Amino acid sequence: MAEIAVGIDLGTSNTCVALMREGQVEVLPNAFGERTSASVVHFHEDGSVEVGNSAKAKVIHAPAQTVSSAKRLIGRYFFSEEVKKAQAIYAYEICEAPNHGVRIEVNGEEFSLPEISAMVLREMKQIAERHTGEKVTKAVITVPAYFNDNQRQATKDAGRIAGLEVLRILNEPTAAALAYGFGMGLNQRVAVYDLGGGTFDISVLEIGKDIFEVLATCGDTFLGGDDFDDRIIDLLADEFVGQYKINPRNDPFAFEKLKLAAENAKKQLSVDEEVRVTIDCVLNGPDGAPLGLERTITRAEFAVLVQDLIQRTFKVCDEALQQSDLTVRDLDGVIMVGGPTRLPVLREAVKHYFQQEPRVDVDPDEVVAMGAAIHAASLVGEAQDSMLLDVTPLDLRIGVAGGLAEPVIERNTPVPIEQTRTFTTFRDHQESVEIRVYQGDHRHAEKNTLLGQFEFSGYQKGLRSDVKIDVTFEIDADGIVNVTATDQATGQQASTQITLSSGLGEEEIQQMIQQDVAGRVATAGVQTPAPGDGPAALPAPPPPAPPKSVFAPAAERESLFGTGDQDLAGAAGDELELDAEGDTDLDLLDDEELIQLTEESTSGPLDIGAADDDGFFDTSGDDLSGPEIELTDEEIV
Amino acid sequence: MAQAAIDPHEIHALARIMDELDYYQLLNLKPGASTAEIRRAFHSSSRSFHPDANRTLEEPLREQCERISKRITEAYCVLRDPRRRKAYDARLESGSSLRIQLAEARQSHEEQRKAERRGATAQGRQFHGKAEAALKRGDLAAAIQNMQMAMTFEANNAGFKAMLAELRERQKAGR
Repeated sequence: MAEIAVGIDLGTSNTCVALMREGQVEVLPNAFGERTSASVVHFHEDGSVEVGNSAKAKVIHAPAQTVSSAKRLIGRYFFSEEVKKAQAIYAYEICEAPNHGVRIEVNGEEFSLPEISAMVLREMKQIAERHTGEKVTKAVITVPAYFNDNQRQATKDAGRIAGLEVLRILNEPTAAALAYGFGMGLNQRVAVYDLGGGTFDISVLEIGKDIFEVLATCGDTFLGGDDFDDRIIDLLADEFVGQYKINPRNDPFAFEKLKLAAENAKKQLSVDEEVRVTIDCVLNGPDGAPLGLERTITRAEFAVLVQDLIQRTFKVCDEALQQSDLTVRDLDGVIMVGGPTRLPVLREAVKHYFQQEPRVDVDPDEVVAMGAAIHAASLVGEAQDSMLLDVTPLDLRIGVAGGLAEPVIERNTPVPIEQTRTFTTFRDHQESVEIRVYQGDHRHAEKNTLLGQFEFSGYQKGLRSDVKIDVTFEIDADGIVNVTATDQATGQQASTQITLSSGLGEEEIQQMIQQDVAGRVATAGVQTPAPGDGPAALPAPPPPAPPKSVFAPAAERESLFGTGDQDLAGAAGDELELDAEGDTDLDLLDDEELIQLTEESTSGPLDIGAADDDGFFDTSGDDLSGPEIELTDEEIV
Repeated sequence: MAQAAIDPHEIHALARIMDELDYYQLLNLKPGASTAEIRRAFHSSSRSFHPDANRTLEEPLREQCERISKRITEAYCVLRDPRRRKAYDARLESGSSLRIQLAEARQSHEEQRKAERRGATAQGRQFHGKAEAALKRGDLAAAIQNMQMAMTFEANNAGFKAMLAELRERQKAGR
C-alpha cells in the first residue's frame, strides 16, 4: 500500500476532502455524515476550537467568536478593499499586524489567516484519518486559479501548520476538469465555469488523452455566491427598514439572522419557484417586543437582483476565450463547479452564453475535491498518470524607475517557467538596489499587488552602465514565485522566496507547527451534537450517501461532454504620479524614452543606500521612491 | 508516479548540454514544425520532465528535471506564438544566442514594427519624419504631401500606406 494522500477543496464557504483508493474516488463525510463542512471556525471560551457546520450554527449566538470566510482574507494586505469589506460585514475582530498584515482577534488572542485555515484543514485531516484508520500527512490543496502568489503561499503555509505536506497547490478549475476527464481518453476542449462562495474562475482547457493543458484562465477574486446572498440580505433589510424604520444592518445578531435566511432562501430557489422567508424575531423593538419579518421572493425577482453579477462573470469568460484564441463554438463541453451553479437562473444564463447544455454530472460542491484526490493519488503513485499543464493567472512584473512595473512573465504563460532579465543601477556608484516584484496587469506599479521586495547590494559597484544585475524570476508548478538577483561580474547572489510582508516568516510557521495551533480543533467524533447545536439552522444534510465514483458506468462515459487590484492604492499615495505631468500616453514610451525620463528625474536627491527596513511602503524621502533600477538597453541572454 | 519517468542518465546528459541546444533541438523538432507538432512535442517532453512526473527523484536529478522543464516551457511559449517565433528565428539566424526571453521576444517584434513604420530607406524615413513634424504643427496638407513623397521610395510599406490613408480620412472629415 502506497502512501495516503488526500485532496482538499478549501472553499470560502465549505470545505470538502476526498480520497482515491484502488481506482475509486470517494468523498469522505464528516462525523455528522455531511459530505462538505462549513469553512467556519468557532472559538470556545476554554480556547478549544470547533470547525464545520456546527461551528457555523454558533454564529447567531456568538458572532464575534465565529470566524467564517477566512479565504476572502488570506494573503491580503490590511489596507485592501476586501479587508475593509469584511470588517463591515463580519462581527469578528479583524486587526492589523506589522507590515500591513491581517490578524483575527478572538477572546483576546490573535490568529493569522493561515492559522484559521489550518484549523479547517486539520478537521479535514482528522476526517480522513477516521476513515482510513491511518495517519494522513499528505495532501493536494486547491485554490482559485486567479489566486496570486501571496494567497497561494499563505494557503500552503496553512497546510503546513495543519500538519500536512502539501504535495501541490492545484487550481480549482483544473482539478474539476481532471475529475471529469480522468482516464477517459478524451480529446476535447472544455471550459470550466467555477463560481464559488467568494471567487469566480473560468479556465479553458485542451484535454488530449491524459494530458490536461490549460490554455487560459481568468477570474475575479471579488465575485462569488456570497454576493448573491448579499443581494437578498439587502432586499430583506430594506423590507425591514420599510416596516419598522429600524436598520437591522447595525445589529450584528440581526444581521447574522438575515444572512442565514438569505442563504437558505437562495438555496431553496434552486428547488422551488418561490420561497417564503419568515423570521420570527429579527431584533427586539424599542419596547422590547420582537420584530419579525415575512417576505416572499420569486425566482424571477431573484434573477433581476443578480443579473449584473452574472453578466460580470461572462465578461471574464470573454477574456478567457480571447486569450485562448477560441470562441464558444470551439468548446466541446462546459463544466459547472461551485455551489452557486446549482441556481437555475445561473444555469440558464451559462447555457445561453456557451450555446450548449453545461455539464453537471458530478456534484458541483465535490468535483474539485475529487479532482484534487485524483491528482494526489497520481503524485504518490496510487493512480495512473495524468499530466496537468497549468498556467500563471497574472502578469509577473518588476518595479522600474518612474513608478512603473515592467512585465517579465505574462499571464497565461505555462508553468513551471523561469525568465531572466538584466538591469543596471539608477546612478553611478549606487550602493544597493531595491527589487520589487508585483503581480497584476497595470503598467503603474502601485496598481498591482506587491508580492515582495528585497535589497541587493552584493554587486561590484561602478558606473551605472557597467553594473549588470541579472534578476531571475521563477514560477513553480504551484504558481509560487521565487526571485533571485545575481551580479554578472562577481556571481554574488541574493534571493528570496517572495513572501509578502503581511505573510508569515519561516520562524513563525515553525513555531505554529511546534505549538500545534491546529491541535485546538477538537478530535472529530468526540463531541455529540447537542439539540439545536448541529446543522439544524441549515437545510437538513442529505443522508450519508455511499461513496461515489467519478467514473460513470461505461455506457454513460461515452456521453460525457456530449458525444489587482486596488490593493496598493492607499499605501502608495506618495509615489510619483507621472500622469500629473500631462504625460497620459505612457504606453507609447519606449525604453529609450523611459531612460531619458528617469534621467530627468534624478534631479531630486536620492538616498538609495538607506533602504528603509521598517515597512514595505515607506518611501525614502522626496524621491521617486520607485525601485532604483532600470532596464538596460542591451539585454543579455 | 513512483519511479522516474525517464532514465537518470538522460536527465544528466540533457541538463549538461541544454544551454547548447536551440528550442527546436530541445523539443526535438524540425525548424519548420507546425503549431500542432510543437504542442505535441511540448506534451511529450513535459511527460518526462514536469516536476509532477519526478516528485520522488533524488537530488540533484530532481532539480535538473525542473530546470529542463522550465526551459521546455520557455521553448514552447516562444515557438507557439508566431510573433515570438519570428523574432527567435531571426536571432538564431544571426547566431547571437540560442535563447530569447519572452518579454524580449514580444518587444523585439514591436520594435521591428515600429522601425518598419519609420521607413526602410533613408529618403523614406526623411519624408516620414517631415510628415510627422507637419502633423505636429497641425498642417495636415503638408503631412499628406510628405507621406506621398515617402511612398515614392517605399511603395509597399504597409505602415506608410496606413498612415497616408488615415491622414486622408482626417482631411475628408475636416472638410
